[in-house]
Amino acid sequence: MEFSEHIKTANVEDVVLRQPLQPPSRGTLCITGHHLLFSDRGEGGSRQVLLLLRNIDAIEKSVENLLGYSGFFSNAGHGERISGSSGTVTIKCKDLRVLQLDIPGMEQCLNIAHSIETLSCLDNVSEMYPFFYRPTDFSLQDGWGLSTPEEYYSQAKALQKKWRLSSVNRDYSVCPSYPPAVIVPHAVDDDTLKKAAKFRQGGRFPVLCYYHRKNGMVIMRSSQPLTGANRKRCKEDELLLQAVIDGSDKGYIIDTRSSQQVQQARMTGGGFESKSFYNHWKRLHRQMERGKALQESLIKLVEACGDESNNMDRWLSKLENSKWLSHVQTALSTAGLLAECVERDGHSALVHGFDGTDCSLLISTLAQLIMDPCCRTLEGFLALLEREWLQAGHPFQQRCAHSACSHARLQQESPVFLLLLDCVWQLWRQFPLALGFSEALLLRLAADVYASEYGTFLCNNDKERCALGVKDKTHCLLQALLKPTVKDFYLNPLYEPTELAIWPSVHPQSLQLWRGFFLRWTQQARHLEEVQEEIRNMIIEWEKLALR
Amino acid sequence: MASPVSVYNSNALDPHIRSPPREALKMEFLADVTLLPGEDRITDKDIIYICPFNGAVKGKVLITNYRLYFRSSDADVTVAVTLDVPLGAISRVEKMGGASSRGENSYGLDITCKDMRNLRFALKQEGHSRRDIFENLFRYAFPLSHNLPLFAYVTQEKYAEVGWSIYNPVEEFRRQGLPNKKWRISFTNKSYELCDTYPTVLAVPVRSTEDDLKRVAAFRSRGRIPVLSWIHRENQAVIVRCSQPLVGMSGKRNKDDERYLDLIREANDTPKLTIYDARPNVNAVANKATGGGYEGDEYQNAELVFLDIQNIHVMRESLKKLKDIVYPNVEESHWLSSLESTHWLEHVKLVLSGAIQVADKVCSGNSVVVHCSDGWDRTAQLTSLAMLMLDSHYRTLRGFQVLIEKEWISFGHKFASRIGHGDKNHADQDRSPIFVQFIDCVWQMTKQFPTAFEFNEHLLLTILDHLYSCRFGTFLYNCESARDANEVRLKTVSLWALVNSRMDIYLNPFYTPESGRVLYPVASMRHLELWVSYYIRWNPRIQQQQQSPVEQRYRELLALRDEYLKKLEQLQLSDSSTSSDLANSSTPNTTPSSTSTPSQYTHLQTPL
Repeated sequence: MEFSEHIKTANVEDVVLRQPLQPPSRGTLCITGHHLLFSDRGEGGSRQVLLLLRNIDAIEKSVENLLGYSGFFSNAGHGERISGSSGTVTIKCKDLRVLQLDIPGMEQCLNIAHSIETLSCLDNVSEMYPFFYRPTDFSLQDGWGLSTPEEYYSQAKALQKKWRLSSVNRDYSVCPSYPPAVIVPHAVDDDTLKKAAKFRQGGRFPVLCYYHRKNGMVIMRSSQPLTGANRKRCKEDELLLQAVIDGSDKGYIIDTRSSQQVQQARMTGGGFESKSFYNHWKRLHRQMERGKALQESLIKLVEACGDESNNMDRWLSKLENSKWLSHVQTALSTAGLLAECVERDGHSALVHGFDGTDCSLLISTLAQLIMDPCCRTLEGFLALLEREWLQAGHPFQQRCAHSACSHARLQQESPVFLLLLDCVWQLWRQFPLALGFSEALLLRLAADVYASEYGTFLCNNDKERCALGVKDKTHCLLQALLKPTVKDFYLNPLYEPTELAIWPSVHPQSLQLWRGFFLRWTQQARHLEEVQEEIRNMIIEWEKLALR
Repeated sequence: MASPVSVYNSNALDPHIRSPPREALKMEFLADVTLLPGEDRITDKDIIYICPFNGAVKGKVLITNYRLYFRSSDADVTVAVTLDVPLGAISRVEKMGGASSRGENSYGLDITCKDMRNLRFALKQEGHSRRDIFENLFRYAFPLSHNLPLFAYVTQEKYAEVGWSIYNPVEEFRRQGLPNKKWRISFTNKSYELCDTYPTVLAVPVRSTEDDLKRVAAFRSRGRIPVLSWIHRENQAVIVRCSQPLVGMSGKRNKDDERYLDLIREANDTPKLTIYDARPNVNAVANKATGGGYEGDEYQNAELVFLDIQNIHVMRESLKKLKDIVYPNVEESHWLSSLESTHWLEHVKLVLSGAIQVADKVCSGNSVVVHCSDGWDRTAQLTSLAMLMLDSHYRTLRGFQVLIEKEWISFGHKFASRIGHGDKNHADQDRSPIFVQFIDCVWQMTKQFPTAFEFNEHLLLTILDHLYSCRFGTFLYNCESARDANEVRLKTVSLWALVNSRMDIYLNPFYTPESGRVLYPVASMRHLELWVSYYIRWNPRIQQQQQSPVEQRYRELLALRDEYLKKLEQLQLSDSSTSSDLANSSTPNTTPSSTSTPSQYTHLQTPL
């Protein structure tokens, strides 16, 4: 595939770039297959902006025939270009940055715009940049990922008594969105699993995702059971769940849908675990928004944040109307409920909604952060994300194809992962010492999940990644973040491990807008970031000394 | 330890649970409450505290001439409730229900506090059980209405430092480089004849005579003439404060006032003087009807900018609305829009952005005059905040005390009228949380610049607590002349005596001094936050942290660092004397880090 066919104009001189927090600059614009490169050879040395085209969510172009081109520089002696046309391309990035390019020449401008439009949303995964990115200090032989389900299982000795590693899904035939190896109760054989999988949407039968060492209780996750309108049942599925509680008096099912929603789901073949067939399981319903509603919430929020008009009277109302913070609240409180079932109440729990690939993962991830100190280190958190999102089959490609600014018709986009990062940030803010990683990590993940040099967030599940050779042909972000030189930046210098559960406050006045992300480019509040950085450096310096 | 009552120094106002020894519980109840020197027990009684969070709690209340103290009698420590409220914080005491009222706990007392909470107590409906407690509360919470002295005059507290010397106007002017060729120090107000609400020491243009000042005073509301608050060391631009000109309906002019403002402009040779009128334009116009007004076109070389900050009544109602949505229960379902409808953050934003404009003007070399109507509320907010942005000295612990002493206390912010110390008249239209709003603005700045302030949030909370407590003389009375007449400095203790005797707990460990740095906070609603740890601090569901965990952890690391440095130093000293192999191996290791980090390690480098 030749990218060049999409690039009619590769270089344009005399382009003016305007970007947030910096003065406009004039230089050369260059479009390559994956990048937009702007270099400014000003007097104070050259400045470059390298932007992944994949990071571009939307562009707006306006072409005009102008007499005086670019009044901004007229004082600087550049205003002599009198005739000719020019155009402006406004670039809205998925990391919420907005750039503006003033490009001389109508045709060049349209060419550039066209190239960006086409190249920023290539559908073919194997043409994406991670397949071309070859950093010098990294070898493709370094392996991929932090740990496999097999390794996770072999490390958790206490787990092995009652749980086994099943390779029933070794060729992805039982559940295409599950990894080849899953953890299930010892008492349940692979045939049972296969049958149970047929009874669950997308084949996502209940599997273990967390073992609570303190009391041996577990969190399971799955998709909805396919009971349908005539209340079908599946003995194997019931058996599987019975084996999970194994002698204990009960377990909890946290359904991320309302009880009304689950009744409706029966009409389309879905459903819920009825009391009469799963009599040891108690269902709790917590309605969580997903899909389109969540995406629209993000769009509203980003719109409000980007509103530069001086009339800020209605800011708080706009913030409230976007409902983003109430999604954060619901996610944290549902995760709190799940953690309470396991940690305080001492029972195992199963989480699911419809597909079990979005809210269920959100909730189980947050619950693990709340309960398990091992998940709160930098390594632990990244491993948690790998288990609960990458291996568990969150469809990143569908969910993160576009962000809040895109004009494209929404398909499967939904910022579930961004919501997770926001919730983690709230935890981090409420427990500034308990998490071993920094806000910078969350910001990095928020950017890379939409556009990355690394292959980590490509595709929708393990199966697709294998088919495309992602693990052989791209580099892994999670490993890159843990490299000795890089890692320091993502550590929380004030980290003080605690064995205790960290129960977040979910009262609205305890939750804050994640300014570091949503207002990153809109205001000069960057000094906060710089100050954090300063504190970090000082502490790291001192800690080094102390450890000596 | 300088303080005789250390246990109360930091926490006297916090309702946190202090579990008393069990024996004390059985014996005389509340006998173990540590009182301040000079504090006397007035009465105690079995009572039920109707806690808005935990329901009715049985216990005992103790009333002294300083505080209301309640402790639950339940032996279970986990549900223990302690209240420790200075009587000064009480704005209103009312009887609830009558002897014949029906229903459980319907007979008792309703207490409204100035610090964002209300208290409700219930008593047995027999034998006028509440009379004694009501009368004593009423008497000691409002001593001035009963010809009793404020507690600040009764207390016998002693501190190593006498806080009254923290601010000396002449010294402060000298620090700013005054007097100089353009500005002189005037003592013309030494007996408060020029202006009875101003301090005695004023800085005015060199070229203005004492007679000029008198004529200008005649044209300024309450004689509050334009005087210098702050001067920029490099560009000599100044912040001048005053009250509105007495223009009136007929549009009076005063040549002396016009000339006087021009003298201010001339002092640093700028073409234009900017006058910031803190009020909204319409209010300034409306003030003409009562004889006030604003500077018109007759003031040549001056431009007038209105800053749209609302008056004391609007601010009072705004904070009242805020209290309604946070106490006792936080309005949860539409929290953000409810918060918005109080307009509190919007007012904070306007004050902050006004101060930013002032600071920015001065920074760019233009002198400014700031006034509102009387120049003691909004004006004080604007000048002090602008000075906080411009001058890093005011961002130190002692410098901040100077700022408050100077711009608020000495320039006659009417603390007595705004707070109503010891006054039973709770509905007085003069009450307004202007100073609270100022502290809120300071807090917003500390949030945006976490390393720029030497003091921490605890200081701000302490200041606000003692704004009401009447334990210190600092915030008593409306102006210096009244303070002199009542011998505040002789007969009461300064709040700064308390603060400066335990400075460590008020210090911000992240502070990195950067003199000369001007702070411009972002005064956008998006970057302002509700000060939850002040306004919602009585709500037990809000995670209360006595001290920010980040702050605490950082302190620990600092201590750890010092410890290691000491060890290292000892090691090296012993090494250099014995010159063992061990020493040689450890020495090179330390070199890189001591060169990469500057000042902190200077003492380390000596043994090397």
